[in-house]
Amino acid sequence: MLQKGAAKKVTIFVNEDTQHHFGPLTDSILTYLLHKGVAGATATRAVAGFGAHRVMHTNKIEVLAEHLPIRIEFIESEEKVNELMPTLYEMVTDGVIEVQDTHVVKAANKDLPAEPRPPRAELKGTARLMRIFMGESDKWQGEPLYEAMVKRLRLMDIAGATVYRGILGYGVKGHTHKSGLLPFSRDLPVMISVVDTEDKLRPAIEAVESMMQDGVIVLSDVDVIRLVRSRLPSEVSNANG
Amino acid sequence: MRMVKKAKLLRLHFGEADQFNGKPLYEAIVDRCKVLRIAGATVFRGLEGYGGTAEIHRHHLIKKDQPIVVTIVDTEENLTRLIPEVEAMIDTGMIAMSDVEYIRIEKPPAGN
Repeated sequence: MLQKGAAKKVTIFVNEDTQHHFGPLTDSILTYLLHKGVAGATATRAVAGFGAHRVMHTNKIEVLAEHLPIRIEFIESEEKVNELMPTLYEMVTDGVIEVQDTHVVKAANKDLPAEPRPPRAELKGTARLMRIFMGESDKWQGEPLYEAMVKRLRLMDIAGATVYRGILGYGVKGHTHKSGLLPFSRDLPVMISVVDTEDKLRPAIEAVESMMQDGVIVLSDVDVIRLVRSRLPSEVSNANG
Repeated sequence: MRMVKKAKLLRLHFGEADQFNGKPLYEAIVDRCKVLRIAGATVFRGLEGYGGTAEIHRHHLIKKDQPIVVTIVDTEENLTRLIPEVEAMIDTGMIAMSDVEYIRIEKPPAGN
């Protein structure tokens, strides 16, 4: 299963009609990657292109349409790529193999959990609580600031964030926040409380600071007693059966 | 560049129905904070709770008495000025204070 973070992206360019063991090379490569348990691979047929043979492959001329380039791409960890590379090097008799550094932001699978979650042993004992005070009508790139912040914190894998709406307040933004008679166009105080370890919160504070125009961040030490996660469906069915 | 200051966080717990001089206690406290030039105060309404009187505070059709928390952050000196005043205003309730670090963010409105 592909993990978040640094990874390698491998791109292989071959000809559609290049043969390998009496079959198309593309099929052989994909079969090999599947057999080796690679997270995923995609082969795309090009519209046109040329390579080492200096012949333009295009689908405009029927004779040349058989030689269209194929691009096979897959993303895997560095160790896995190193393991596969000798065989791929052997297989691609005519074409290009390229490897580049990449960063996996999200690897989600609706059947499996997004990633094997370790039982967050680190979040027990001393942690930090961050309270962020702002106004409800504050915006970040056109969307409500509190929503944008929760999204950002989620992307950063912060353990949890909760948004509270106050009913009255003053301080940040220099005016009193009070709900008017009309239910819309109000600017009530909003507080987001976030709990995680000091190390995880440090980059989060920077991110929050860069998004906020006017507000207050308050930090304090807390003791985390227990972090309970909902169980996966598979675990629940096991427990029932 | 970034200013991280030591400060105190004060939390006042009481009920929404509590009054002071004929107006809601939380409004009176926020007004008092403004007079005393406290940096900021925010009032939150809880859904349900109980406290010193073992009476459950919850939303009721005729009696609205949900729990209220007023959160105030400022320096210790300013809060010591405030505490005796709010103490006199709150009939039944709770005052809690904790140590915090405080970062004020104020950017010029031009750039984003």
